[in-house]
Amino acid sequence: MVKNITIFTTNTCAYCVMVKRWLGSKGISYEEVNLDQNPERQQEAFEISGQLSTPITLITKADDSQEVIVGYNLAKLAPAVA
Amino acid sequence: MAESQVETHDLVIIGAGPAALTAAIYTTREDVDTILFEKGVIGGLAAITDWVDNYPGFPEGIAGLDLAEGLRKQAERFGADIRLGEVMSVTDEGEYKRLVTTDGDILAKAVLIATGSDYKKLGIPGEQEYYARGVHYCATCDGAFYREKRLVVVGGGNSAIQEAIFLTRFADKIDVLVRGDTMRASEVLQHELTKFADKITVHFNTTTDEIVGQDGKVTHVLGTDTTTGKQVQFDTDGVFVFIGLKPNTAFLQESGVTLDEIGMVVTDGLLQTSVPGVFAAGDVRSGATMQIASATGEGATAAMTIRKYLEETPEA
Repeated sequence: MVKNITIFTTNTCAYCVMVKRWLGSKGISYEEVNLDQNPERQQEAFEISGQLSTPITLITKADDSQEVIVGYNLAKLAPAVA
Repeated sequence: MAESQVETHDLVIIGAGPAALTAAIYTTREDVDTILFEKGVIGGLAAITDWVDNYPGFPEGIAGLDLAEGLRKQAERFGADIRLGEVMSVTDEGEYKRLVTTDGDILAKAVLIATGSDYKKLGIPGEQEYYARGVHYCATCDGAFYREKRLVVVGGGNSAIQEAIFLTRFADKIDVLVRGDTMRASEVLQHELTKFADKITVHFNTTTDEIVGQDGKVTHVLGTDTTTGKQVQFDTDGVFVFIGLKPNTAFLQESGVTLDEIGMVVTDGLLQTSVPGVFAAGDVRSGATMQIASATGEGATAAMTIRKYLEETPEA
């Protein structure tokens, strides 16, 4: 069970659009952190993912465990939000 | 005869880039039962291109993402069903083609291969190790992490130069490494490049040999100046690679569809492949010009060829 989802995005990132569209198609809500509008949160995004890439999807489960998925990867996203 | 329990369609389009979406606009508008499968980004490479300056009808140019969104909306307006999933294989079973997909097996009377191409990798030490932590293939996705940093861009074609210019929004200094003594980028882009001489330096006759880092971060790139044979070093925080394209055709290995020597799909002038009922359009097609305008044109041609094929194919 998912408690909440945060997606780190940029204005020009097409893969970010895909993650948001896929979550939207499943009726799953999320918070978006746009790094172009919030560049001060870049370091946070890097520390969460260990990567310098968007989208970064941070999934917090009901037991407060977290899963991080970098990129648009349905093979990882689908089971993570199931 | 189609199996009654298996999902069956007149047309399955594999991919959802400009060629695929254009074909879908034509076929769905004429009520051809059409679904599309896209395992990556709707809009394909066009969607991750920051700016498209040469697509007709947009006098000031258009953001690649906006063009992709427009194509998607237009196709969906006529009823295109875009599935976010993957086609793993295509098998010719005569009148129907069987597609093994992430949605299960699907039968189709006609298949359009429009899977496009992806950026090639360099295949050098450090590239895999620093993937997404200093080595990147998508400037519009990852460029924002390099505000006020130093970058290396590898390549001398249109994508490399266009993306290097895009990256000047973030980076302070960009070294572009070009293997040959000239650029393959268009004259227009090369002229545009001169406006960014304060940030971008082009190094011709320079191979890219190794990406080196320390403590998990890229620190420099080692190359060779091929005119002197001497090693050269470029200090950098990240590397963006745009050295050409490779077709997305691995899933066709057992399909019977003829591929050329670099894995692109061979078609005739009407975009029919070696397997009757299987067609190809866009960047995946042998001889493609790798232009969005060409891809949309091929998508329209393929749609018309497919409509004729379906009309001439008797009902199961």
